[in-house]
Amino acid sequence: MSKLKTSKFGLGLAAGAMALGLSTAGIAAEHASGFNGIGKNITDKAIEPWDISVFYDGTNLPKGSGSVADGEQPYQAQCAMCHGDFGEGAEGYPKMAGDPMPQFINSLKQGLDGVGNRGVNNAWGHAPTLFDMIKRHMPFYAPGTMGVDESYAVTCYVLNLGGIVDMDFTCSDETLADVEMPSAEYFVTDTRPDTNNQRCMSDCTDEEPEVVYSAVEGVSG
Amino acid sequence: MSETTLDQTPQSDAREGVASSDRRKFLRKSVALAATGAAAAAAGNAYGDVDLETVKEPLEDGPTRNILGRGVVSVPYGMPSKFEKDVVRRNVSWLTADTVASISFTPWQDLNGIITPNGLHFERHHAGAVDVDPETHQLVIHGMVDKPMIFSMDDLKRMPSHTAIHFLECPANGAMEWRGVQMDSMQFTHGMMSCSEWTGVKLTDLMEYVGVDPKSTWLYAEGTDGSALQRSIPMEGAKDQFGEPLPADSCEMYKDAMIAYAQNGEALRPENGYPIRFLLPGCEANMSIKWLRRIKFVDKPLVTYQETRHYIEPLPDGTIRQFTLVNEANSVINYPCPDYQMKGKGAYEIRGIAWSGRGKVAHVDVSVDGGKNWQEAELVEPVLSKCVTKFKLPFEWKGDEHLIMSRVTDETGYVQPTLMQLRKVRGFNSIYHKNSIQAWKIEKTGEVKNVQIENF
Repeated sequence: MSKLKTSKFGLGLAAGAMALGLSTAGIAAEHASGFNGIGKNITDKAIEPWDISVFYDGTNLPKGSGSVADGEQPYQAQCAMCHGDFGEGAEGYPKMAGDPMPQFINSLKQGLDGVGNRGVNNAWGHAPTLFDMIKRHMPFYAPGTMGVDESYAVTCYVLNLGGIVDMDFTCSDETLADVEMPSAEYFVTDTRPDTNNQRCMSDCTDEEPEVVYSAVEGVSG
Repeated sequence: MSETTLDQTPQSDAREGVASSDRRKFLRKSVALAATGAAAAAAGNAYGDVDLETVKEPLEDGPTRNILGRGVVSVPYGMPSKFEKDVVRRNVSWLTADTVASISFTPWQDLNGIITPNGLHFERHHAGAVDVDPETHQLVIHGMVDKPMIFSMDDLKRMPSHTAIHFLECPANGAMEWRGVQMDSMQFTHGMMSCSEWTGVKLTDLMEYVGVDPKSTWLYAEGTDGSALQRSIPMEGAKDQFGEPLPADSCEMYKDAMIAYAQNGEALRPENGYPIRFLLPGCEANMSIKWLRRIKFVDKPLVTYQETRHYIEPLPDGTIRQFTLVNEANSVINYPCPDYQMKGKGAYEIRGIAWSGRGKVAHVDVSVDGGKNWQEAELVEPVLSKCVTKFKLPFEWKGDEHLIMSRVTDETGYVQPTLMQLRKVRGFNSIYHKNSIQAWKIEKTGEVKNVQIENF
């Protein structure tokens, strides 16, 4: 591009900008802030219907309550077909009640299968987040449609199936945080890396590899 | 890559024009040496000892030569060749009770780059994929901030953008192989991982805009699907529910996070979170919340269902490990792999993929003798942080049995473990974060099998 053409182009642009009342200062200003004028402020009150998350310690549990007895009917009607009449699970859906904690831990130590035996009684650290899960995500086929009291009641029923609360217990925003979950003290935060392989390049082992093949063919798909 | 040859002599002689019969003798000798010695990965020598067939029939035109093909936009959104119809996502029917709370797998055995085409990105839903209208969808950011704010999708696109290539990996990748060999396809052993170029708004930019309180040590993100999936994400100073600190590297991960609206240049696909998803590179993909509607800055973790019941690791020492957020380095050979049959003796290129949630891939070593000897593979550029890196190494198959495997070392010095090393510390009850060295066995028949090595 020649100097002449450049200057003509530049003049034309400047003239156009003046005619439209534009300012070149805007470019610098936008770069400086990047966010100027974007979005809306929102009040806590407006956010409230979405601010549903319950913390492990019971923070943000909504006002309400439901007893074990109150939970029987909704559990049997809306939950039992997947999770079993007694919380034993069905059709590949999760158990509510797994092996009791001592048995579960024993399985872990012996290398026996504990994966399929998880339940609220052996792998769920805090009762308030059980309420949160049920309220937000259940029943599976119509997620988030249970009311607050109904969700407390079903939470209570499931806790009872797991042998965690008695038949006469009532779950509420005041009682749930104090429910003692059997697995609570067993949780330990990430301690990895937990392996220490070395980048050996030659003669890394004297042993012949013991090769294990698939026991069953055609498992995939 | 001729430096990968174990015995350079035959090659140098060949280059100097040794008569072919002599060269064959030489090569046979070197085969014998290789068999008695260490690895048999050999040079990409242009000459070889395999007799090639000779085509003598005159060539004929194919069926496409004398016809008109399709016009432009006959397929407005282009699709792969009909001959590639088997390159699709797949699921494992017995793995989950229902496809709406399930996972599908990327067919890495058919992919040749580091980018996963959008239609092949693995899917993981908890209540099914939903169609969220970008005209009405909004993102709320609140909690320990100066200004609680709400943004439309147009708002997000006005903001300074951030683009990066990152993998996403479900922590259950490889889970079906913890207790033993099960799957006969690489798609099912490693397909819960995909890699894309993502574009969106950097989380740290948004944090500055809304004015996040320095005392905030956690945030959580939540989706607008039926599961309203939510995960707690640590920042500097984060402590668990018992007051114990999260690992330092976990607390840095949010710095690479973004609110992504584009994937490989186009809008996110519905099954990957359209119109926006949280993207937390390096961490288990469950944290990269799809159909994102809310981010809240807080000072403690939620300890959600996902964090106390689902993505946990019951260990043989009787503890249950939680917040195992980072995806440690992993690698696998995708050619050859159980999805292929070797096509005759001679030259091949062993190719594979490696990735680490802690940063860049530093080295990938390949063994063709079951882990006794290893050779460093060539890394294919680009080599990016928290991104799939491709590797390759020439391989001469002489019809013998081989146990082939790859081992990645990442830039932190972490070396991918063996399956035995993993089982020693995590037992048989783990499901998640199985990143152990994967062995494939090439049989004399040319069949390639998924195997495990039980003693090291």
